[in-house]
Amino acid sequence: MQVERATSAAAAGGSSDSEGMAVDHAAGPGAVEKPRFDPLMPSEMSGGRPQFRKVPVPPHRFAPLKRCWMEIYTPVYEHMKVDIRMNIKARRVELKTRQDTPDVSNLQKCADFVHAFMLGFDIADAVALLRLDDLYVDSFEIKDVKTLRGEHLSRAIGRLSGKGGKTKYAIENSTRTRIVIADTKIHILGSFVNIKVARDSLCSLILGSPAGKVYSKLRAVSARLAERY
Amino acid sequence: MDATAAADKGEAALKLLEYADPSHFLSPSADLVTAARAASQHIYSSLVPLSPAQPPSTLLTDPAFDAEQIWSQIELLARPLLPHLRRQLRRLEQQPPSQPQATLPLPVEKPADSEEEEEEDGQGSELDELKELEETDDEEELSDDEEDEEEEEEELDQRAHKGLEDQFLKIGEMAEFLDKGDEEEYGGGANRGEEKKATKNWMAESDDEGDEDRDEEGDEDLEDFEDDDEDGEGEDGGGIMYKDFFEKSHNRPAKKRDGSTKKVQFKEDTHTMELDGSENDDGNVEEEQGLSTHEKEQLKARAKIEQMEKAALESSAWTMQGEVTASSRPINSALEVDLDFEHNVRPAPVITEEVTASLEDMIKKRIAEGHFDDVEKPSLLPSKAPKEHKELDESKSKKGLAELYEDDYAQKAGIAPAPLAISDELKQQANTLFKRICLKLDALSHFHFAPKPVIEDMSVQANVPALAMEEIAPVAVSDAAMLAPEEVFEGKGDVKEEGELTQAERKRRRANKKRRYAASHKERPAKLQKD
Repeated sequence: MQVERATSAAAAGGSSDSEGMAVDHAAGPGAVEKPRFDPLMPSEMSGGRPQFRKVPVPPHRFAPLKRCWMEIYTPVYEHMKVDIRMNIKARRVELKTRQDTPDVSNLQKCADFVHAFMLGFDIADAVALLRLDDLYVDSFEIKDVKTLRGEHLSRAIGRLSGKGGKTKYAIENSTRTRIVIADTKIHILGSFVNIKVARDSLCSLILGSPAGKVYSKLRAVSARLAERY
Repeated sequence: MDATAAADKGEAALKLLEYADPSHFLSPSADLVTAARAASQHIYSSLVPLSPAQPPSTLLTDPAFDAEQIWSQIELLARPLLPHLRRQLRRLEQQPPSQPQATLPLPVEKPADSEEEEEEDGQGSELDELKELEETDDEEELSDDEEDEEEEEEELDQRAHKGLEDQFLKIGEMAEFLDKGDEEEYGGGANRGEEKKATKNWMAESDDEGDEDRDEEGDEDLEDFEDDDEDGEGEDGGGIMYKDFFEKSHNRPAKKRDGSTKKVQFKEDTHTMELDGSENDDGNVEEEQGLSTHEKEQLKARAKIEQMEKAALESSAWTMQGEVTASSRPINSALEVDLDFEHNVRPAPVITEEVTASLEDMIKKRIAEGHFDDVEKPSLLPSKAPKEHKELDESKSKKGLAELYEDDYAQKAGIAPAPLAISDELKQQANTLFKRICLKLDALSHFHFAPKPVIEDMSVQANVPALAMEEIAPVAVSDAAMLAPEEVFEGKGDVKEEGELTQAERKRRRANKKRRYAASHKERPAKLQKD
């Protein structure tokens, strides 16, 4: 902004006074030209200093992170143009904007992507976060829905995933979401509407309805969703 | 003077009428009318003093008066007068004619005498006159005529009565008696009138009749006869003799009493009647013979009634009583009686040879036809197309979320073609199945029209028949198998059964099994750890 002002002032001073003044005078007594400002680069924001995001790594995701590091690094660094590094000592992933980071939101997207991976989602699923704007991650616990203890809890978890995970996959496929069941925590990745549907089915499963019932509801809802688009 | 003049006029008018030509009466003529009126007036005035009642003294015969009116006036006079005249005549008859009857006035005798004279002298002329009078239409003349006729009838009757009647028989009384008999017609009143000859029977009948009326009647008759007896001897009347009546009169009351007592007994007790009948057998037989058919019928009916009354009073047989239990009827009585009641069940069919033959024929026929009564499942025809159920894919999706959206975008943009959906795969399977069926169907026609299709599928060769022989009919397939036995065999080396194994071999087997299990178990946790 200051540079621009300087340049505009210089321009005004450099050029013949009469022109600029003439223009001013021509528009009307006391009419000032609207200043034109180009959008700021992310690097220029916050006083030209780069922005950071730090994503902690849970211990059970350490090894997968190690395994899939290149798959994470490549899209973040190459496509999103955001610096990424792993702070092993602090056990966190750090992201930083570069000079040529095109958009402000890139950094946030990358941070969300990495965070999704940390929650447990696959790289292939998490990458969707980088590509689409309107995908979110919704998390809730089983105890938020219903207080279950001991065996009931275990059974509820079992009900949620189903035999070989088929119930979970059924929900995922019909609602176009991705679900991660981490013990008592449940994370859902998808668009807002789909998250809602998936969450409803999961809640009904937690509350005790049989899988068949959930399937029938899913069928109806998914058909509706498909018709809409 | 007036009275005599009037009388003369009347006489003249009467004479005029007498000697008038009959043909003149056929057509109405004023002279005759006036003459008739005058004559009737004259006769009326002459008769007026004689009537016991006090009728009007003159007959009003003005031309204004109608024939009816004149007649009614004459009637006023004649009605009380005629019986009076009749009585007088009777008295005259009873009294000897030698005694001069100066009490009766002349005019009374005059019409009687005149009538007698007329009868004796000119019956023919009178008759002609009467006829003429009858033929005419004037009712005034008829009035005279009727008066004459009535007087004539009385005279005739009196003459007849004089011939028949005597101290015993009075015609009037007989007439009364006959009337009574007609009233009590049923009971032999007719018989009584007819069979006067059979006196004994007649008397017997009167005895045996149960009707009180009849007895009363008999009593009355006998009373009459007894009365007559006092007067004197009577003339013969129908063959009945005096002694028949009046000698039996002594017995009659006794008999009458017996009859009454008998009659009472009869009414009270039939048994005593029978006893009496046995005692008085002769009399009863005679009496029965003399009964009329009606009387006989009555007897029979009476006997029947008695019998029925007796039966009704008694208690009926057990079959006639309503609900009868075993205790209220004699032992084994139900066996003897032919009881009739409705059977609700059809009687069991008698199995004869014919019945069995017919059944077997039916069975054979059915088997030959193949017409069995098996329960057939109703074919479910779907009314509408089955709903397409979207199959939920329960396996982990091969594409990632990003790829899914990528494909979606590509489809919308039109860059990439539509991906193959799950339903297409099912269609593929269906297609293959259908082709197989078509192949089989074509084999029926020996592939004359279609070549054998080449199904490209990498399948392990199964143990199917080697050849599909082409024959005219039917399609024959050789039983030779495709694979050799050693190819079919699964297993290694010498195969031994459990029982054949030795201890060492058994142990070896177990050891191998354990090893295999351990190996597989090892793999699993490793697999799990990977994720």
